[in-house]
Amino acid sequence: MLKLKNMEQTVKIGDERYPKLLKEIGSQAPKKLYYKGDWNDDIFENCLAVVGSRHLTSYGRKITEQFVTEIASSGITIVSGFMYGGDEAAHKATVRAGGKTIAVMPCGIDIIHPHYQEELYNEILEKNGLIISELEGKFSPVYWTYVKRNRIVAGLSKAILIVEAGLNSGSLLTAGHAKKYGRKIFAVPGQITSDVSKGTAKLIKEGAEIATDAKDILKYYNISSVNSNSVKPSLNFGKEEQKIIEQLKREPMEADMLARTLGVPAAKIGATLSLMQLKGFINQESGKYYVN
Amino acid sequence: MLIKVLSVVNLGLETVKVDVEVNLANRGLPGFEIVGLPDKAVGESKERVRAAILSSGVDFPPKKITVNLAPADIPKEGSLYDLPIAVGILSSVFQFSIPDKSLFLGELSFDGSLRHTKGALLMALFAKEFGFSNLFVPKDSANEAGAIKGVKVFPVENLTQLAGYFLKRKNIEPVIYKKVLEGLPQPAEFDMKEVLGQEQAKRAMEIAAAGGHNIIMIGSPGSGKTMLARALPGILPPLNETESLEVTKIYSVAGNIPPGGSLLTNRQFRAPHHTASLAGLIGGGTRPHPGEISLAHRGVLFLDEFNEFPHNILEAMRQPLEDGYLTISRSKGRAMYPADFMLVASANPCPCGYLNHPKKNCACNQHQIRKYQKRISGPILDRIDLHIAVQPVDTTEFSDNQKNSELLESSQAIKQRVVLAREMQEKRFEKDSIQSNAQMKNTHIKKYCKLAKDVEDLLRRASLKFQLSARAYMKTIKVARTIADLEGAEEIAISHMAEALQYKQKNYEPA
Repeated sequence: MLKLKNMEQTVKIGDERYPKLLKEIGSQAPKKLYYKGDWNDDIFENCLAVVGSRHLTSYGRKITEQFVTEIASSGITIVSGFMYGGDEAAHKATVRAGGKTIAVMPCGIDIIHPHYQEELYNEILEKNGLIISELEGKFSPVYWTYVKRNRIVAGLSKAILIVEAGLNSGSLLTAGHAKKYGRKIFAVPGQITSDVSKGTAKLIKEGAEIATDAKDILKYYNISSVNSNSVKPSLNFGKEEQKIIEQLKREPMEADMLARTLGVPAAKIGATLSLMQLKGFINQESGKYYVN
Repeated sequence: MLIKVLSVVNLGLETVKVDVEVNLANRGLPGFEIVGLPDKAVGESKERVRAAILSSGVDFPPKKITVNLAPADIPKEGSLYDLPIAVGILSSVFQFSIPDKSLFLGELSFDGSLRHTKGALLMALFAKEFGFSNLFVPKDSANEAGAIKGVKVFPVENLTQLAGYFLKRKNIEPVIYKKVLEGLPQPAEFDMKEVLGQEQAKRAMEIAAAGGHNIIMIGSPGSGKTMLARALPGILPPLNETESLEVTKIYSVAGNIPPGGSLLTNRQFRAPHHTASLAGLIGGGTRPHPGEISLAHRGVLFLDEFNEFPHNILEAMRQPLEDGYLTISRSKGRAMYPADFMLVASANPCPCGYLNHPKKNCACNQHQIRKYQKRISGPILDRIDLHIAVQPVDTTEFSDNQKNSELLESSQAIKQRVVLAREMQEKRFEKDSIQSNAQMKNTHIKKYCKLAKDVEDLLRRASLKFQLSARAYMKTIKVARTIADLEGAEEIAISHMAEALQYKQKNYEPA
């Protein structure tokens, strides 16, 4: 069974099964698509491209996870490019939320690139996702294949969500394609000082829609969120926990910073943070804590 | 005429008696030979002995002199046989007898005086064990040998003085054992209060010092990793008597005790550079010499830029990290050296060093970062109990109070807690062969770290949530034990366990 799943299969542009949206991009549409996984027409129905910088910040990762979890569990297919950073975060969040995802590879269908994401690759296939590419067999990823891959990501999707992007980045190229094909563009605002928020700021200036909530995107797909209220922790915080939450709501912080700001010894703050993390109130990403 | 003078040979930390047999033959051409597997330094002893005797105003006997170092099949090295050889020759010249049960060791200078010589402490230990009552050693080495009770140590200044003593014309006062001064402040480059910010890292250092845990700090350049490590000696507990002897033995063999020095009372802080060789770090050489890890015995081995150390050196440290000792086997001998040290490592998170830096952007791609972090192997990281991320501190954002180092806790105050925690551990492990919480094996953990149900529940939940390995689970318990000890608590409470979870191994993958 698994063997059959991994077997190489193709869809040509003339086929009935060829995704309609992708066909709409005209002469740029790939003539032939190689794929792995179950080719199911449903998967192409409501697609959202989620792209982000390779140098995703902890903020970007958190937002990607938050948005994608909600959007994917509402039945929308998440399309991305399997690169590390933003793409990987989007695929991973989808798989975890039990949603459908399509990974458009920048290389031949028989290569897993980057190779250390093999686990994610297999997970996508196991969870009824699709791996597709216009390139054959063991075609190595080279500079131009990444760029060409982006047009397929944009072409498959009704809308595109850019979480973080630098100026002159691949994510902006994808956004450019989406614009050309007349697809809706959502951009997540970030701090204007962050390098990877400069691209999204540019998109917003140029008229992209600001996305501050997954519902902004779901509204576009005419879907109301299914799990609008995921299990929110009860509000019986201790006094110190309350203070920590207040600080973290303003800005994610390291334990040191919290200890200083609240004037609590590091030993005590450490213990409290561990407990809060276990209770699910807060989370940690690259050293900083933030409120869930 | 045959004269026998006794000395010793140190093979690693083992000591064997050596008979220095000096034969002065009237027949044959005058000459001077040494046999019995001497190395270069022993061979050159001829010239030193001849010059020293002449400078002392004594005519060198024009006889055929042959010296045999028995047992003849053990290789001898070093300059310690100068004195026994010279004493042998002088006793023939002046016709004095050498007192029974005496051992000699010392290097001669051309002017007839004696120089500080390594290995005096080991000889004294050997003398005590095998009933030799008199030791004749250079004056500068006398304090070292004199640390052992029950043997008379004679500090010898020069050959004339010694000959005078044997001819009963002069007196040499034996060194009297002085109990070393306790509670001397541990010298540290920085006081903990000079380290601004870094609250959690400082706390982790305190825990590491209290329980002897290995610790790794990962952070950008300039975040203060090295400063923290250099401040560590100031909060370490002093060595107890047995520990002090163990450490001094290694230093004595390595020749690292300064002239006039005696037992070491401070925990040693060794910080070898990452270009150090395998033999330099682990120990070795054609004859097995102790390496940095043994010199850091019962002390701290600080490896700055941890992942710049060659792979083979780091992997070679695995066994001593686990066992606390190391056996070095070479063609010219085998030696067992203790190497029970606390590892303090520091590393950058990525090749450029600025991953997760609050102000600077990291210029590395994920592939480079992975490759960089993979240089430290899993088994090594597994043996490190405390993992700390050190962030650069921007003191311009500090309030005046936070910037005032006088308001921060001093090393002295932290040390008091550390010493109390160590005392608890000493009591706990009285009947076991270990000293600190970090050394606990699973059987000890079962015995001494009984967890209340709610505490165990907490750890179970955490291990599910953070996907802790079995070893990480045990490590967390050990750290929690130390945290409880720092509070003087017999039972591990929830707060101790929760804090211990802060120091688990972090996932440094780029966010």
